[in-house]
Amino acid sequence: MNILIVEDEQILAESIIKYLSQEGYHCEWASSFREASEKVHLYTYDCILVDINLPDGSGIKVIERLKSIKSKSGIIIISARNSVEDKIDGLNIGADDYLTKPFALSELNARVKSLIRRRNFDGSDEIVFKEITILPQERLVSIHGEPIRLTKKEYDLLLYFVSNPNRVITKESIAEHLWGDHMDMADSFDFIYAHLKNLRKKMIEKNGGDYIQTIYGVGYKFTRF
Amino acid sequence: MASTIPILIIGGILAFIILRGIINHEFNEKLFAEKKQFLYEWHTYDNIRETLYLNVGDKIEVKAVDRDPKIKSMLSDTTMYDSFEKKELPYRVLKFSDNLNEQYYIITITKSMLPTKDLITGVGQIILILIAGLVLSLGLVSRAISKKIWNPFNNTLFSLKNYQISTPVKINFAQTTIDEFKELNQVLSNMINKSRKDYVNLKEFTENASHEIQTPLAIIKSKAELLLQSGELDQENMEDVGKIYEAANRLSRLKQGLALLTQMDNNQFDEVEPIEMAEFIYKNFENYEELIAMKEISLTKTINGHPTLILNNTLTYVLITNLINNAIKHNLKQGFINLILNNDELILENSGTPLEGNPENYFQRFKKGAISDSSGLGLALVKKICDIYDMRISYSVNNQTHRIAIQF
Repeated sequence: MNILIVEDEQILAESIIKYLSQEGYHCEWASSFREASEKVHLYTYDCILVDINLPDGSGIKVIERLKSIKSKSGIIIISARNSVEDKIDGLNIGADDYLTKPFALSELNARVKSLIRRRNFDGSDEIVFKEITILPQERLVSIHGEPIRLTKKEYDLLLYFVSNPNRVITKESIAEHLWGDHMDMADSFDFIYAHLKNLRKKMIEKNGGDYIQTIYGVGYKFTRF
Repeated sequence: MASTIPILIIGGILAFIILRGIINHEFNEKLFAEKKQFLYEWHTYDNIRETLYLNVGDKIEVKAVDRDPKIKSMLSDTTMYDSFEKKELPYRVLKFSDNLNEQYYIITITKSMLPTKDLITGVGQIILILIAGLVLSLGLVSRAISKKIWNPFNNTLFSLKNYQISTPVKINFAQTTIDEFKELNQVLSNMINKSRKDYVNLKEFTENASHEIQTPLAIIKSKAELLLQSGELDQENMEDVGKIYEAANRLSRLKQGLALLTQMDNNQFDEVEPIEMAEFIYKNFENYEELIAMKEISLTKTINGHPTLILNNTLTYVLITNLINNAIKHNLKQGFINLILNNDELILENSGTPLEGNPENYFQRFKKGAISDSSGLGLALVKKICDIYDMRISYSVNNQTHRIAIQF
């Protein structure tokens, strides 16, 4: 899987590349509008991350360029601005998703995976993690072939974990993933704990393993033993 | 214009009174002159004693009396029926006594006031018409001049009213030949252009600052996250890095809150639309249902009215979510939240830990209660939004009940 990262801040780009490479993606980097234009012309990518604020142009133009060459890459906009207009503009001209800085790398990873899944849908679109099978299109989860009923939040939580296996996931990023803007919501961490408890219980009931590990003071980890 | 009318009216009344006084005086003078003339002729000419009506229209009565009545001159007004005009007409009577050939007489001269009265009335009418005419023409001329002179001023006012600093449309003043207004327009133009420049600069600055802060924050967060993945940290190190991550997050939310406050100051939320409050609040409460259930808070909603307010959508969202957040965050387990919506106010009551100090202070930025993981901006945002829309907000604590009321 090829990913192009269009971001002018080198250190940030490095972090993204490091994380995504560990997931097994092949990552390339463009630090300006010009570089990005060249690269998209020469290569195709499965997913392109575009920063709106580039020194020599707008990320929007990169997207327009991609659309004009009928690119099939998935496009995720990353931007420092939280303004609603940018979001709408970006999605209107054909971006698939939008992330505001600063974001958690685990969140970025989850979005990339989700986007690639959607784009490369060729019949079988399941995610398998040991005995857990997830069908994202239908939002169905089964353990050892047995379907298990999860609430929306429990499903989102499980999918987030499975997308970032063996990664330390901070409780903040979980809160933001589940509640987005409402992340500021009161007691969200107690909340997460409650949902996790329920999720664990349901999985164990179906004889699934307990993969959710608590990292004290930080968050959680979904690990294969 | 307004000051000339009372002057004209008072002047008119005074003129009338003076003229009337003069006319009356003249009449009385005539009457007394007649008395003089009568006495002279009566004393001088013998045959006059037999002739009683000397002047046409004036009645002269002579009455002989025994004793000296000692009447020098007495003036009185009376009315008599006139057979010709067939109505009561006004007369003035001059009564005096005299001695002739050792006989005392009381003499009365009765003179018709009709012509005099008519004169007075005529004068009065002329004055009235004059004044009215003056007032009217003054008013019309004044209005016409006023309109012409103030036209450029009204144009300037109109341009000012329609100007919005948040849109890039430049202000345009109509041309005028009047020097004073030319100068006014020039000064206003300069002032507005400067304000607009400052506004744009400030807006850009806050956007740039916002942008600039985001990047180092993003770096801190991402590097902290990568550190956590390294697997080479012991538990204590992990916790430390976790705290770094947490602090970066708080900073980010804080920055967002402050940016919001600044944007509000810059009138960047000018767009408004009608918002049906009950529906809006219900929808937002849905997002908190799980949390409310988890804390076992009992929520009661009392809807007494369905106000629709014209507000900016984003600001209303921030307002409502921060209010709800505040009600939940500082609430107790198995506590309660009461939402009351009337046509002219919104009340949110919740159980909670008692507050230190004056509740109203919590509208200031960064004032926090016992639970200090919040940014401290929630209520400040709420207050600012209320200020923008001229809504009064009050925060009171009674025992363990916190109450926020917003009047629309």
